[in-house]
Amino acid sequence: MILLQIDLLTISAAALLIATFAVVVRRGFLDWLSGYRYQALVLAGVTAVIGYITGTWEIYVAAILTLAIKAVIIPKVLLRVTKGLSGQLSDFNPYVSVRSSIIISAILVILAYALVQEMFANSRLDSVARAYLPVALSLFFIGLFVMVSRRIALNQIIGLLIIENGLFLFTVSLTHGLPLLIEVGIFADILAGIIISGILLSRISQTFDSLDVGKIEQLRDD
Amino acid sequence: MVEPTAVSLQLQIIGVVQTLGLIGIAPLITGIMRKVKARTQKRIGASIIQPYYDLAKLLKKDEVVSDQSSWIFRSAPWIMLISTITAALFVPSFLPFSPFNAAGDILVVIGLFALVRFFTMLAGIDVASAFGGLGASREMMISAIVEPALFLTIFVVSLSLGGTNLTSIASSAANQFASGVIIMPSMIFAVIAFFVIMLAETGRIPFDNPATHLELTMVHEAMVLEYSGKSLAMVQFSQSIKQVILLSLFVNFFVPVGMLTPAIGLSAASTASTALSFLAKAMLVSALVAFAETRVAKWRLFRIPDLLAVAIASSMMGVVFFYFWR
Repeated sequence: MILLQIDLLTISAAALLIATFAVVVRRGFLDWLSGYRYQALVLAGVTAVIGYITGTWEIYVAAILTLAIKAVIIPKVLLRVTKGLSGQLSDFNPYVSVRSSIIISAILVILAYALVQEMFANSRLDSVARAYLPVALSLFFIGLFVMVSRRIALNQIIGLLIIENGLFLFTVSLTHGLPLLIEVGIFADILAGIIISGILLSRISQTFDSLDVGKIEQLRDD
Repeated sequence: MVEPTAVSLQLQIIGVVQTLGLIGIAPLITGIMRKVKARTQKRIGASIIQPYYDLAKLLKKDEVVSDQSSWIFRSAPWIMLISTITAALFVPSFLPFSPFNAAGDILVVIGLFALVRFFTMLAGIDVASAFGGLGASREMMISAIVEPALFLTIFVVSLSLGGTNLTSIASSAANQFASGVIIMPSMIFAVIAFFVIMLAETGRIPFDNPATHLELTMVHEAMVLEYSGKSLAMVQFSQSIKQVILLSLFVNFFVPVGMLTPAIGLSAASTASTALSFLAKAMLVSALVAFAETRVAKWRLFRIPDLLAVAIASSMMGVVFFYFWR
């Protein structure tokens, strides 16, 4: 039974990492969005697994909220916001090529595992934290990397959402569930953040006729 | 029952029969792939035993050899066929045992594949046609990236299942499955990487289109364009055998359902049942490959490294998961 539990934990952690790579390997905005939706689905599953193992009912609520907000509402909002934007939505000329960013992301995952091994070498972590902390950390790193390596402003939002998923997993796996009120507050926060960044996106595209972040740097006060 | 190092006459005979079976079903698997591909594209397609007819017809035909070509061009098909058959003798398919088991491990199989590829490229360059050189240079580029990915995947598999010896890998995969471990976490990543590599090695669609002679994008077909008659039959047959070897490696590493374990024991009934289950698994995986092939378009040559980077990254993470598991 214990072996089965550990297996379930590691396999779901692996599934979450694969879902994250689905965002890294793609090049079009719709592909990123479907990759993110897939990641949110897996994250909801992972949260439910944590709830099952720790036996806390609040984590199930968090899983349902993850499913509803991250897998359904946020992609819908982003799709609606980007419908009227001018400028291309796909990134065909990123700062770091797709193939190098895949390899770099894998190296970041290794780094995350090594870091967790170092940081928590002397502390006693339970099996949930040991399985998911490195994944949470690698989601954080990969999100940061996606943000800085691509040109299109939409990608910064996707990177931010990946980082947020990582933080969510970090807290849930370490604390086994925050009070429900705080969880709900965090979800509302993300939703507000997405709406604000949607407005920001449409302003960028109105002003520059493009979503390329490289072009924003050309702004000069003559 | 089957000790990895035990060499008895009876086991050797069974092993040779197994390899002959593997070679025998190679054109059938090719036929099934073509059929599945045709059906998913809403065509009826040729019968699944059509590759046998093709080979028989090619063997009866006359051969045309360019007078500009050297002995390399004429000997390359023999080298391809003999190397792939030798590789098949190393590979266990439905019994966790292979006749050449004591002589070498999976690295030898990869080496034999490299030999085949090397002579295919030489033959392509030898006739000095534009297509041959083109295909050879593309093949060189792809194989230079496939090989590190393949080796990393083999590392993951050998770490997880203990050793590079194919017999011990196959039997420990079967034992592990019998003891209730459906899949090890590190092997999830190895499956992804190996599937991509299988597509690349057999020249399937995101990398190369095996069904065309009329495209500027062809890789393998461009190298063997000048062959006809018996030589072409040998080239095609060796390609089929290579494909079925990779399929049987995939099946034995990752889906050891119904594989013979010491608990079951070697008997006529158990051998027949494992042979049938192997055939079913091989057909399923080949149908899966053909289906995956229909889902994607052929990629631009310079995007191919992207897909192979996925394989490399995936097997890197497999190594990580192996060391940090527990």
